[in-house]
Amino acid sequence: MEPGASARNVLTQLRRGTIEYCVLAVLADGDDYAFELVRRLSAVDGLVTSEGTIYPLLARLRRDGLVTTTWQESDAGPPRKYYRLTPSGKRALAGFTDEWTRFRDAVDELLEPAPDRRPRQGGRRDEREH
Amino acid sequence: MTNVNTDPAADALVRAYLDRLRAASRNLPPERRDELLAEVLEHIDAALVADPQGGPEVATRNVLDRLGPPEEIVRAESEGTPYAGAPAYPTPAPASPWGGLEIAAVVLLAIGGVVLPIVGPLVGLVLAWSSSRWTRPQKAVASGLAMLPVLLVIPFVLVGS
Repeated sequence: MEPGASARNVLTQLRRGTIEYCVLAVLADGDDYAFELVRRLSAVDGLVTSEGTIYPLLARLRRDGLVTTTWQESDAGPPRKYYRLTPSGKRALAGFTDEWTRFRDAVDELLEPAPDRRPRQGGRRDEREH
Repeated sequence: MTNVNTDPAADALVRAYLDRLRAASRNLPPERRDELLAEVLEHIDAALVADPQGGPEVATRNVLDRLGPPEEIVRAESEGTPYAGAPAYPTPAPASPWGGLEIAAVVLLAIGGVVLPIVGPLVGLVLAWSSSRWTRPQKAVASGLAMLPVLLVIPFVLVGS
């Protein structure tokens, strides 16, 4: 496999694994109706390639009790289905946020060409920076 | 159908898209299938109100492009998540626990002792434990059954002595 294809594959897997928490994160800002939710997700670069695939994901989150739906009247047209985070959805999001932050920081630390990562001796770093 | 789409060409595009989605989703549970079709239709209506640029036909084409192929949407229905462990549709049929090796094992364990005492059931035991179709508990049950005649004999031996 060429290197570019491998990186793309990793990104596909990452997207697939994190998208449901991105949905929960968007809902943490407040209830949304499906279309608005989908558009907010697809506004993030590269996150959603086919908007329609969000609906199966939302159904799964509802089956798992992480979100609930309510019907609300809209000013224009028929009532809309609104999605809301449940307490267990909030817990799932909080748990993932911790894990993700740790993971992201660890990968960043290895990827970033930090100047202070060269020969390092305990306690000497602060002196050099001043 | 949609109160937004009065343009016949746009209407035909939506109809064709929903037909494809209906065909692709025929293996979903009926309630979920109806719900998915309603969700997608609602999305199309909302999207056409939000982005009417280019006229009905162009706008509809854009909305359907952004939704993605119906087959891909249905495929997402059966994608499980490692965290939530959601059930996948359709459930694949479990592999049969009965192959030639397993049948031979049971026959030897049951009546092998009649033909070849001790050696018969012993070979049955070896066969049972080398099965790749049986789980460990199933193998344990098979072994227990092989021991059953021996266990039944013990009380008589004890009483007799």
